[in-house]
Amino acid sequence: MRLDEVARRRQRTAFLLALPSLVVFVGIGFIPLVLMATWSLWTFDADTYWVKPIWSLASYAALLEGGRATVFLRTAGLAAATATISTLLAAPAATVVGLLSGPRRATLLVALFTIPFFTSGLVRAFAWRLVLGREGIINGALTGLGLVRTPVEWLLFSDFAVVLGMVAADIPFAIVPIVLAFARIEPSVIRASQDLGAGFWMTFSSIVLPLITPGIVAGFLFVFVVAVGTSMEIQLLGGAGASSISVMINDVMRVVNFPLAFAIATVVVVFLIALVIVADRTLKLSRLFEHLGT
Amino acid sequence: MTRDDFSRRIRSQLTRRRLFQHAALGVSVLAAGTLGLPRAARAADEINFWATGTLDIGDDGWKTFERESGVEVNFSDNGNDPGPVVAKLAAGNANDIYDVGGLQGGSEKEVAKRGLIAPWDLSQIPNYASLWQSAKDIPYLSYEGKVYGIPSVINADSIIALRDKAGSVDSYGVIFDRKLKGKTAMEDAWINSATFAAIYLKNSENAKIAEPGNLTAEELGLVMEFLIKHKRDGQFRTFWSGWEQGLQLIASQEVWAMTGWEPIVYAARARGVDCYYAVPKEGYEAWGNNLVLLKGAVDRGLSRTAHRFANALLSGFYGCKLGALRGYFVPTDNNVAYATAHSDDFDPAKVAELGEHVKAKFAGRVYWQNTRPDNFQLYEQWWQRLRNA
Amino acid sequence: MTPDSTVSSGTNGGRLLFTTITILSLIIMYAPALYLLLASLSPDEWLRLVAPIRFSLTSYVALIDDRRLASALDESVLVGLATAVLATPIGLSAALAYRAMTRMRSIFLLIILSATFVPGAIEGLGLSVILRLGRIHPSWVTVTIGHLLWTLPFAVTVSLIGLSAVKESAFEAARDLGAGPVRAFVDVTLPLMRGSLISSFVFSFLLSLNEHARAYYLIGRQNTLPLYMFGAMNSGASPTIYAFAGAIIVVSFAAVALIFFEATRRQKRSGDGQDKR
Repeated sequence: MRLDEVARRRQRTAFLLALPSLVVFVGIGFIPLVLMATWSLWTFDADTYWVKPIWSLASYAALLEGGRATVFLRTAGLAAATATISTLLAAPAATVVGLLSGPRRATLLVALFTIPFFTSGLVRAFAWRLVLGREGIINGALTGLGLVRTPVEWLLFSDFAVVLGMVAADIPFAIVPIVLAFARIEPSVIRASQDLGAGFWMTFSSIVLPLITPGIVAGFLFVFVVAVGTSMEIQLLGGAGASSISVMINDVMRVVNFPLAFAIATVVVVFLIALVIVADRTLKLSRLFEHLGT
Repeated sequence: MTRDDFSRRIRSQLTRRRLFQHAALGVSVLAAGTLGLPRAARAADEINFWATGTLDIGDDGWKTFERESGVEVNFSDNGNDPGPVVAKLAAGNANDIYDVGGLQGGSEKEVAKRGLIAPWDLSQIPNYASLWQSAKDIPYLSYEGKVYGIPSVINADSIIALRDKAGSVDSYGVIFDRKLKGKTAMEDAWINSATFAAIYLKNSENAKIAEPGNLTAEELGLVMEFLIKHKRDGQFRTFWSGWEQGLQLIASQEVWAMTGWEPIVYAARARGVDCYYAVPKEGYEAWGNNLVLLKGAVDRGLSRTAHRFANALLSGFYGCKLGALRGYFVPTDNNVAYATAHSDDFDPAKVAELGEHVKAKFAGRVYWQNTRPDNFQLYEQWWQRLRNA
Repeated sequence: MTPDSTVSSGTNGGRLLFTTITILSLIIMYAPALYLLLASLSPDEWLRLVAPIRFSLTSYVALIDDRRLASALDESVLVGLATAVLATPIGLSAALAYRAMTRMRSIFLLIILSATFVPGAIEGLGLSVILRLGRIHPSWVTVTIGHLLWTLPFAVTVSLIGLSAVKESAFEAARDLGAGPVRAFVDVTLPLMRGSLISSFVFSFLLSLNEHARAYYLIGRQNTLPLYMFGAMNSGASPTIYAFAGAIIVVSFAAVALIFFEATRRQKRSGDGQDKR
């Protein structure tokens, strides 16, 4: 009886707590989502320059033409590469912050990882052109040291440049959640592990890693989502005509093909939702954020 | 260890230092905020001018403009990309905020058809008469006999080339020249690049193309296949968009020749780069940036002010200022008259020279760029194919 | 005892590797930022490195007079702070709700995350159509609404991680001592989550400060900073925007150094106090 009531009260609390965010997401966020999906099935109306309710799958058929499908794959590939590299760099960096540094150095590092973020991402991405270009700093150093005869061309206007630019821009998204996850680790557990003779790697893989996994997953997801949505690095650092989903949406908007733009966006949302569901099933995402028992 | 002990320990050991870490960031946020200055309040005779950034003459320029015309101008950059601009007009909130637009020419007719912009009453714009005929004749400025677009800036574009690397260039052929493989660039928009390629193919390769700014499906296929082939061959270093990108490509010698905007040449030269604007034998790509009267301004009772603004824009000062600032040209002879009367502020000879220079370009072969060719959806499909080739 | 000393013995290989990766990450992040900072000291009208002897503050002087940049910054800081002020508590409440839930957690998480999945331009356009139907005049408020949707999923996730580090036992202990649930939450859970709440706030602010696709469709007459930057880069940038980037870096560094200095001093003082006891 009492247990029952506790459970009910708990549900009510949960509902009340969820209310503000649900208001925002369902009240504001869901409407564009639903409209987007609906409009993607309507037809462009040349008279009103907008969409009209003549239902059609034409926009989805158009997704299969002109290599549009490859843009989805390319974007997913670039975003996955960026997220993977960012996470691989961020996990050790966050470990240095969360485990291997005293409070002062940890503070300093977190600040250092956040400061570049305050300057415009656009300007930062542009600066890479001057660092990586044919006459840029890196090529200048390489030719100056006699390591190469002619400037290395693929440093700029290539997928390499795009991924580098995105990693540089998005690393903090991966680092911050992992640093926060270190609060889950009790120093005494680490000490115990070492008292038992476990080395660094043993301690890291058996104790640290499982506990910071929520941070790693969240960091990966953050970077992936941000990278999927970006067009800046691709337009500034990519090769001739380099594309991504956002670039393609801009192209389509330029010719006011609104239904197609909405169809592209709908596919992106469906794909990402599917990805999260799969991740949830396999990695037990929703259990990651549970506390550590008592 | 008791529960209390535990929680106290966590607090003292973990939280304090983390709080400490993140407080650093919180203060940086506030520090960044203190750089801001208070905004000016809105006055009565005020126009919100929403245009391509290149039409901006800066705060001091607009101050003088206000002194001369009595119209206060709030300039907002519209991003120049005709797609989002039209989307914001058609579906978004542009008409709630802005009064006069400055659009890259082509879509006037279509937004006029939908009633998003209102026709200009030319009797309220005496300076309209002073506009060059070639500018008034731009094909897409009127709809159903009424004028919707007033040319504010026109120019004719061609190729920027590095003198010591590309040699002397007189043809778009240089962009597609094998010897410059990986060292050329075009703009990241079919509006420009398809038109340039069409001009080249029409006049140097005898391709059957009637109007490079408005290609038929068949002509478009020919032009785009040509571009796709060269893209696959690695001919282009990159495609560019926007002033800073274009300038950087030339100034850093990333490319030796590219299609682009004439003022980039002036800016690159000022930086000591030996480059020039080619006179292509195939002809120039002409473009106009046109003033449109937003329907919202009429609804807000600002129609008369907007007309005064448009008239003032053509009265000379703006043309002189824009020419001095960015090398862009307002197609009216009022510029020279103004500079002559204000020779302390502007050099009449220079103003006249810029006018003659643009006039000379228009005396030869020019093809108008068009952001809305009849087959514009097809253009986009082909551009996708080019991107993904 | 600091965690520092706990992992120090006999682990030099791993430490070295991790430290190297940290430095590498910092180099990647700072390469463009430091380039901007140094190049902004060039006396020329364009961005390039010059010998330190030629360093000049010309662009910085021009920066002071750039009213348009100042208004854009103003607008962005206003939107960013409003976004962060809303996103942080809402994100926290969502995280608490998630924790209290016994069912439908995955769906709740999915609803929250899905808001970030919509490509920016489409989200912005869609929202502006709706807000227009609701006769809400575009202003910093409409941008804030858009940015709230964009940042909230991040704020929720950061709060979730922070919350997962708080053991229920700490909360229960306070309850056992007679504190009410609100009191126990404020006294125990909240202080333990302070780090993640500050992160959530700063994260939301920074995400908003750099967002531009949504803002394009949602702004009022005043452009936000990224839109201003975008316009400036597209139509003949003056070197002030690079000076601005440089100034932001310098100000951030100075702020961090100041806090650091202040905190060190305070730490020392409290250390003295402990000695006396």
